[in-house]
Amino acid sequence: MSTPPLHWRSAEEREGESAGARHGEFPPGAAEMDGATRRELLQLLAVTLGLAALPGCTRAPPPEVRPYTRQPEDVRPGLPLHYATSMTLGGAATGLLVTSREGRPIKIEGNPDHPASLGATGIFEQAAIYHLLDPQRARAFKLRGRGRAWNDFLAAVVDPGASFRRDGGAGLRFLVEPSGSPLLAALRARVLTALPNARFHAFDPLARDAVYEGTRLAFGRPLEAQLDLDRARAIVALDADFLSEGPFRLRYQRRFADHRVPENGMNRLYAAESALTVTGANADHRLRVRSGEIASLAVALLAAVAPERAPAGAAGPFATHPWVQTAARDLRAHGAAALVVAGARQPPLVHAVAAALNALLGSAAVGYTRPALDDLVSGPASLAGLARDLEAGRVDTLVVTAWNPAYTAPADLGFEELLARAGTTVYHGLFEDETAARATWFLPATHELESWGDARALDGTVSLVQPLIAPLWDGVSAAEVLAAFAGLAGQGARELLRASWAERAPRPEPDFSRWWDRAVQRGTVEGMAFPAETVAVDWPALAAGLATAEPPRIEGLELGFRADARILDGRFADCAWLQELPDPITKLTWSNALELSPRTAERLGLAAEDRVEVKLGGRALVAAVLVVPGHADEAASLALGYGRGGAEALARGLGANAYRLRTGAAPWFASGATLTRLGGKIPLSITQEHWSTEGRPVALDVGAADVARRHLPLIDAQKGPQPTMYPPVAYPGNRWAMAIDTSRCTGCSACVLACESENNILPVGAEQVRRGREMAWLRVDRYYEGDLHDPKVVMHPLACVHCEDAPCEVVCPVNATVHSDEGLNEMVYNRCVGTRYCSNNCPYKVRRFNFLDYREKLPDTEALAMNPEVTVRARGVMEKCSYCVQRIEATRLGAEREARPIRDGEIVTACQQACPSQAITFGSLHDPASRVSALHADPRSFQMLHELGTRPRTVHLARVRNPHPELG
Amino acid sequence: MPKHPTTGALFPPWTNTAIRLAAGFIAVAIPGALSGLMIFVRSPLYTGQFVPVQQPLQFDHRHHVADTGVDCRFCHLTVETAASAGYPPTEVCMSCHAQVWNQSPLLAPVRASYFTGAALRWRRVHRLPDYVYFNHSIHLSKGVGCVTCHGRVDQMPAVMQVKSLSMAWCVDCHRDPAPHLRPQEHLTDLAWEPADALEVGRAVARDRDVHTRTSCTACHR
Repeated sequence: MSTPPLHWRSAEEREGESAGARHGEFPPGAAEMDGATRRELLQLLAVTLGLAALPGCTRAPPPEVRPYTRQPEDVRPGLPLHYATSMTLGGAATGLLVTSREGRPIKIEGNPDHPASLGATGIFEQAAIYHLLDPQRARAFKLRGRGRAWNDFLAAVVDPGASFRRDGGAGLRFLVEPSGSPLLAALRARVLTALPNARFHAFDPLARDAVYEGTRLAFGRPLEAQLDLDRARAIVALDADFLSEGPFRLRYQRRFADHRVPENGMNRLYAAESALTVTGANADHRLRVRSGEIASLAVALLAAVAPERAPAGAAGPFATHPWVQTAARDLRAHGAAALVVAGARQPPLVHAVAAALNALLGSAAVGYTRPALDDLVSGPASLAGLARDLEAGRVDTLVVTAWNPAYTAPADLGFEELLARAGTTVYHGLFEDETAARATWFLPATHELESWGDARALDGTVSLVQPLIAPLWDGVSAAEVLAAFAGLAGQGARELLRASWAERAPRPEPDFSRWWDRAVQRGTVEGMAFPAETVAVDWPALAAGLATAEPPRIEGLELGFRADARILDGRFADCAWLQELPDPITKLTWSNALELSPRTAERLGLAAEDRVEVKLGGRALVAAVLVVPGHADEAASLALGYGRGGAEALARGLGANAYRLRTGAAPWFASGATLTRLGGKIPLSITQEHWSTEGRPVALDVGAADVARRHLPLIDAQKGPQPTMYPPVAYPGNRWAMAIDTSRCTGCSACVLACESENNILPVGAEQVRRGREMAWLRVDRYYEGDLHDPKVVMHPLACVHCEDAPCEVVCPVNATVHSDEGLNEMVYNRCVGTRYCSNNCPYKVRRFNFLDYREKLPDTEALAMNPEVTVRARGVMEKCSYCVQRIEATRLGAEREARPIRDGEIVTACQQACPSQAITFGSLHDPASRVSALHADPRSFQMLHELGTRPRTVHLARVRNPHPELG
Repeated sequence: MPKHPTTGALFPPWTNTAIRLAAGFIAVAIPGALSGLMIFVRSPLYTGQFVPVQQPLQFDHRHHVADTGVDCRFCHLTVETAASAGYPPTEVCMSCHAQVWNQSPLLAPVRASYFTGAALRWRRVHRLPDYVYFNHSIHLSKGVGCVTCHGRVDQMPAVMQVKSLSMAWCVDCHRDPAPHLRPQEHLTDLAWEPADALEVGRAVARDRDVHTRTSCTACHR
């Protein structure tokens, strides 16, 4: 075996087997046709040719135009409008700006005024439009499967003589999503005024109860930790994937990335975790430990930072671990700039230790406010209370507005069966899912893009939810359901919201409607953020907690659960765009898989795609094995959200249902799992080895110290002029160019989905992905570096780099890909005949071919999501990144109408706009003062595959690592 | 023992004529068919030029533009701001016809639309393929007048397409826009014809920074 390449994407590549060498130019099967031999194909071609001539005989009648009768004031057909709204996940809001064309939302961006977004979006926000337009959404009110109307429900269930009203509503239970919404809180209060004995339970399978319990343990009361990553220079993450989970993930990504470039002062991240996560991939020092060991690791860290505060003899096996010792020294050295973060998967004790550490260090990078959620308990404990009542037959009417508890409830609760114990079960949801099948009444929900409401962000900021479109189908919002029980059934959501704010507008304004209009326009309500709380660690209580806490015993294989990176807890499982988005780390699409480290897989004799039975606590399921370098040994991970059995057709039968092994006592990890190989394989659709660049150095990383002293030989070799036979081309005007800073990029993949949404890129399905036919113009390659078992990671976003001497252009026989006068490598769909020569000749492998007519599968509703400024491509056409040329042209027209040049930063590409970490910059090299010019001149910038002389207009900036000198 | 010992030829003499005729036919027919097709796609027969399109509603541009002197932009509201010039909402019709001809039976469908909210229906006259992203606003801003592409609408009882709207026709102007430009004050003046069109056009091009625009993505995205 030769020496392994510097960067590799899979164990096979590391062994020197390139995907290209194994499979040829395109991934295996990409170029083959289904079910037809060459001879049959030629026969088909002859028939097609004959048929193709037929439509030429008739001429379609001129299409009809129907103008408005009264044109709404702001609406001009053909011009986009933008509305501020927000989206809630886990009870906390993210502010959005939605682009609407002719009354339909087509693109979602972040609201720059909202603290959770700062103008950026993640994949769930980007996918909200597809969620809204999902053809599988429930369309009708139903009583035991038979169609009914909302009024039937009101008459039958909310009737004044209803049985649940006895004893002040003692038989009435609500199971709701945890929420911080002032409107919902007010409605709940009204329900409880009318029916004082009714009870609300909140449930979220991804509940952050441990955060509140941990602060209660440390400070005596539940609090919300607010990270200020701007001030943090030494960060220790204890199983905390703060870059991709939690309500403030977009904000934290931005602030974290701001300090991953040397100019702003580098931070240093220590991450201890089991499965490789986005945060772990961005760590300077990552420690692979099982999730159950994190607690003793946290105590060891406390002992190393402040030995007098740790209980004697509690330091445990990690006391002398170099990672702990170095991290502790670094934390102490940074003092106010040090930060310890605990993950929501960890028990309260770890949160309390993290809070204590931050207090000891005097960290200025964390503050505390009152909790953003009204429901401090929304995990298994909350559901267990309801389950007891159900079991005892104390529940007359159960109203469920939480997402799909029959599917997400802990396996040991038997909640599916308990649902039948209530006299009447009412389920309010977007889809007729597993819970709907067990409910008496089903109430279709309106999507957030169809409803009025309000929501609270993690820091207390309140934002409004306004509809972008009238409800597509029959439906009501959760607020309207609660209002019905509060005796306000006649009021729509907008009246309810407006009335609640008329009482509560922060500053008494003489004219409420002006206040209201401004709030709706901005999307946020001013002055609602929580003030910081002063806190003091309750040391005796913490010491008592530490003394009594028994570190979880780890026996045998540990099985960890986590939210899926793409479909979260399963609520987005029916979205093809999200299903097809490769997982940021494993690059797996359309499924989940049991993740194992290479060493553990070897010990168990398992290989990728093996069918295994996973057993835990007497429960079992069947899953596919996936070997992931960087995973902790003797541990396995399985993402939640798969193995769905509801009416969501797309999600059915994909992956394994991890909830079936998840208990209330151990919702995130449990030891004692056993794996049995069942024989056979479960094919997985993984994109990690598609589109190989044949082991050439493309994803570079450098040490912060080397950047400081400008010692960058690997980078210097990847830039500068190359000999060329082409005559020089003058670009007198704008020279569009891009710079991608891989040091800022966390790998979250929001850009990929933003690109798909902007450019009408369609999903192709699991089987097509397996054949390498995925259509995403922009991909984020995840390269590993170094040790197979404990690799470093470089994230490398790549789309068409718009070569000045583009290899694709010279081989196109029909001039369908040509160069523009501003240096864009243009793709002209209406000229393309589909020879695929261009893709063959592209060294970056960024061109995508429509092997089939993927539009055929596009449901009518989802066709509404298409951007009218971009052609929806047909079969047989090549496509690729256009630098969002429709945005360039729209900006150009505006500038030219105003007779001024295009300003730097005026054109924002879709990927750039979505990017939470601002890794992507677009602009003109013609302007020496532009940001993109500065980044092109940055010492870290390099041209990918520079030796080929293609002169790409997109440069990458090398990833900077900031290791502690002692750990190297 | 050959039957024609003197000639010894394999083919009878008439085949010479046949082969000449066949070669001649092929030499004419193939280029002829090709050029015929090329002429056909450029002819009004294919482009749909000069066919007055009858509308469901009797609307006469001659009367509104020539007789009454209504500016194009009064009804085509978004021509200076958006890609599409826009069809007037019914309330624009009614802004005059609530007062003028408010009893005319010809206008009954307009009143019906206004009071019921049901849209008026029009047939499209100028249509570009879906992969062409044409924008009215920038053309006006750069000094291309209505008449340049739409002809003398003020003289048409029913509007028809007078230009081919082929890509070659677009690109002709995109390569050399100056001769087709006019000052802003004459954009909607369909009858305006300067004596020195080229001189005027060049002045407009200088004034409004008009340049050639022939990159594919200017129109195709």
